[in-house]
Amino acid sequence: MKRSTICLVVAALALIVAPLLVWAAKVGEPAPDFTGTSSTGKTIHLADYRGKFVVLEWHNNGCPYVKKHYNSGNMQKLQKEWTAKGVVWLTIISSAPGKQGYVTAAEQNDYMAKMDATPTAALLDPTGVIGHLYDAKTSPQMVVIDPKGVVIYDGAIDDRPTANPADIEGATNYLNLALEQAMAGTPVATPTTRPYGCSVKYPDSTH
Amino acid sequence: MMKMPGQILRQMKRPTPNLHIFAVLAAGISLCVCAGGAQAAGVPIPHGTVELVAENQWIAPGQESTLGLHFQLEKGWHIYWVNPGDSGEPPRVTWQLPAGLTAGALQWPAPQRMQTSATIVDFGYHDSVLLLVPLRASAALPGRQPVKIGAEVRVLVCREMCIPGKAQVTLTLPVQTNPPAPNPAMQKLFADARKSLPGPAPTGWKFSVEEGKDTFLLRVDTHEQVTQAFFFPLEESQIDNAAPQKLDVMATGGAKGFRLSLRKSEQLVKRLTRLKGVLALPAGPSYLVDVPITPGAGK
Repeated sequence: MKRSTICLVVAALALIVAPLLVWAAKVGEPAPDFTGTSSTGKTIHLADYRGKFVVLEWHNNGCPYVKKHYNSGNMQKLQKEWTAKGVVWLTIISSAPGKQGYVTAAEQNDYMAKMDATPTAALLDPTGVIGHLYDAKTSPQMVVIDPKGVVIYDGAIDDRPTANPADIEGATNYLNLALEQAMAGTPVATPTTRPYGCSVKYPDSTH
Repeated sequence: MMKMPGQILRQMKRPTPNLHIFAVLAAGISLCVCAGGAQAAGVPIPHGTVELVAENQWIAPGQESTLGLHFQLEKGWHIYWVNPGDSGEPPRVTWQLPAGLTAGALQWPAPQRMQTSATIVDFGYHDSVLLLVPLRASAALPGRQPVKIGAEVRVLVCREMCIPGKAQVTLTLPVQTNPPAPNPAMQKLFADARKSLPGPAPTGWKFSVEEGKDTFLLRVDTHEQVTQAFFFPLEESQIDNAAPQKLDVMATGGAKGFRLSLRKSEQLVKRLTRLKGVLALPAGPSYLVDVPITPGAGK
């Protein structure tokens, strides 16, 4: 593809995507509704979970920052703890076909079995529609939605933005804090942080 | 050193890989035959090397000098600036210094803007970069033995995927009381790096920032004609990295210069009192910006 064509494609995509950002999720505002297909073939509507806390976890199994939390068992531990308390946990894979993290339903199910990952569901989002709806920038990136359907947290999983699993212990876990504080009826002290990790591999991703 | 998306893509497709390999080899050979001080070769990192180098041939007690961390990357791979942008992570350095030596904060050449995708913008470096390190030697630096300086460098190297790396670099330098002589083999490397460091704005330039509801308006009063510029925020979570920065030339009411509209980050929750960053012009120069923010009249 010629350079000028690439420039035009990127510009066109930016023009297509930019208006989407007008409706993109913002902390303190209603969580944009979406419909997705899970790795078990189920149709998932976010609106069906009104009345529960919902966690959205952006995922790319090749990203070193995701591996930090999965190879250590940290993410799986959080999934188990919070789903046991009635939280709906949706792992979302917004990698486009051919890009890092893209998985078929079967591959995602194999991965979850192998890693003992037990989200409520894993959503395959290869066109990046759900990713763009939430302006997901990195994997991992965590979004918490309260039972009224309002985004109460959006950002990093914790305050140690490295790929080193040794940094998990002792880190301030923003996901835990948001859920604990909201469940106690208190305001979320840190409602947003810069998420850390690898860029979400949207169809137009070049890096 | 602002790069528009087309330029970034062109850089990724840079031709003549053989020239690149030759340049790396030539640099490596010239480093080995440098005068004074034992210098280890570049240590491997994912898709590149990192080396600890010194501008001068020896260290003098009581003097300041400059070291450098020289990253050299395979074609298409990049590392990140101190503020990496929407994704990625900057290199992190843990120094191992003998008594009598202290290292100051890293000095970062102006970064490139990388349009990772339509909604994701990062800041970093392709090909190679020298991060400068101010080094101070105490007047009481013990003895006349050579000093061994070490560093553990953690760095994320990315192309379409990211690979974290860790490298141990060392550099042994003699200690002499006479004023240090520059290392001829290092002169160009350090001179080029200094040229690409953001500097103070030219005399007569005036910066001010007005805060609006969703934006910071950076106003630059200058008689120089500027029609393109990009502002790299020094800290995360202040400016929306992917939002276009609209530049308006000021030409009315005696004002001369330009205004750059910077969209606030969604992650900016607290009141910001100062705007700090690097203003880069396409022709090359980049300027340090550190300006108080005044609330806008219309807020």
